[in-house]
Amino acid sequence: MCQPLASYWLGHTHHVKLAGLRCETLSVPREITSLQLWEEIVKVHPRLALIRDQVVFAVRQEYVLLGDQLLVLQPGDEVAIIPPISGG
Amino acid sequence: FPAELPPLPARSALSAAEILRYSRQLVLPELGVRGQLRLARSSVLVVGCGGLGCPLAQYLAAAGVGRLGLVDHDVVETSNLQRQVLHGEARRGRPKARSAAAALRRLNSAVQYVPYRGALRPRSALRLVRQYDIVADCSDNVPTRYLVSDACVLAGKPLVSGSALRLEGQLAVYNYRGGPCYRCLFPEPPPPDTVTNCADGGVLGVVTGIIGCMQALEVLKIASGMGSSFGGYMLMFDALEGRFRNIKLRPRKADCAVCGDNPSVTCLQDYEAFCGSSATDKCRALRLLPSGDRVSVQQYKELLDARVPHVLLDVRPQVEAEICRLQHALHIPLRSLEEKDEQALQRLQKRICEEKQRTDDQTPLPVYVVCKLGNDSQKAVKILQELPAEEFGSVLAKDIKGGLMAWATKIDSTFPQY
Ligand SMILES: [Zn+2]
Repeated sequence: MCQPLASYWLGHTHHVKLAGLRCETLSVPREITSLQLWEEIVKVHPRLALIRDQVVFAVRQEYVLLGDQLLVLQPGDEVAIIPPISGG
Repeated sequence: FPAELPPLPARSALSAAEILRYSRQLVLPELGVRGQLRLARSSVLVVGCGGLGCPLAQYLAAAGVGRLGLVDHDVVETSNLQRQVLHGEARRGRPKARSAAAALRRLNSAVQYVPYRGALRPRSALRLVRQYDIVADCSDNVPTRYLVSDACVLAGKPLVSGSALRLEGQLAVYNYRGGPCYRCLFPEPPPPDTVTNCADGGVLGVVTGIIGCMQALEVLKIASGMGSSFGGYMLMFDALEGRFRNIKLRPRKADCAVCGDNPSVTCLQDYEAFCGSSATDKCRALRLLPSGDRVSVQQYKELLDARVPHVLLDVRPQVEAEICRLQHALHIPLRSLEEKDEQALQRLQKRICEEKQRTDDQTPLPVYVVCKLGNDSQKAVKILQELPAEEFGSVLAKDIKGGLMAWATKIDSTFPQY
């Protein structure tokens, strides 16, 4: 059962010439593994798959390893995908 | 790089002049005389004297750090002045490391400044990093970030890392009190063509200023004994929203290639090869097309003077087309071509059709594609080559090597450079 849930924040991904947007809301199951959540987002933004191993994936502002870890999400939870930026 | 530096002397008291100079921070209980004396005995290596390094070094010098090593391979350019606030107009063309040292000396002559005019290289980085207590990564490219991080792990030094792009910034303290290193978080470098640098993405000077100041703060806290708050956190700054986010990071990764329990990286490597990109923020010249599909700016100028029928297609982003453009060019951003934007393709089709009426229509119509530097234009040519001939007629797409910046340097010196 899907419901409007995590507002996921694309961190700095628009620099990575990927999604070109900052923030949007996604409906996902309330209980979902971190890897499934990532895959849901990649469905919307396929180019993110290119940098899967080069991002910090954070849920509620906390690092989450992509894998079997089960997340219990609350409406409005923020998911961030943070690639490193290197400019200075 | 100069030989080994002598250690900074340990001191037991501040002079009357120092007490007056640093009085506003000496009265802070968190710092006090003890913290100030620690600061005076600390050395900090600043890698990069640009948008982050300038404010960082400025505040550390003003606060009375003992020694500042200043690394930069570049010279001051006009387009640096908007954010690299230690370098003045008169410094253009001079090495940044020396320009920064000169400006800092005017601010606080009691600090030792050691300018290193050259890039940090795998061969010399470790020897240099070992001579300093804390390292600040203020660099502008991916290979240098991995090099600095690995060197700090191997030398056992805390790394205060900052970066900024457009209207956003990041800050973290790596290899500090059991926290992760840069590689723990980013084991593999990003594919080179997904990386945007300040030269092609732009950056607001205030943003580098804010992140550089935050770096100075964390350096100062570590040097004076207060300790950093960012050992296990990454600060993300969004200037447009006016929002700071602290992301809690993972701890050190037990199987990290460099700081893990069984490291595979035990000496510094070739980081340009590892990252597939060069250790500068200068744009690389891509070669996506065979030379037969490309013309030089001189060749294009001759075609233009000879009034050869053609279409000039400018594929830069809208914001760049607003800075300057060639008046006769049709402007369609690369992104619109990539997305097969219908309106954009109709405009292109219309222009091709108009131009074809000036010809006998026996030979394919040339379409010359131009961008800023000649990289995106090659990508656009590849897209144009795939367009259906039944709709667009027979066209011959080529790109203009070196783009509008080559036009500005070789053909028309009044054309703006950016
Ligand atoms: Zn590590």
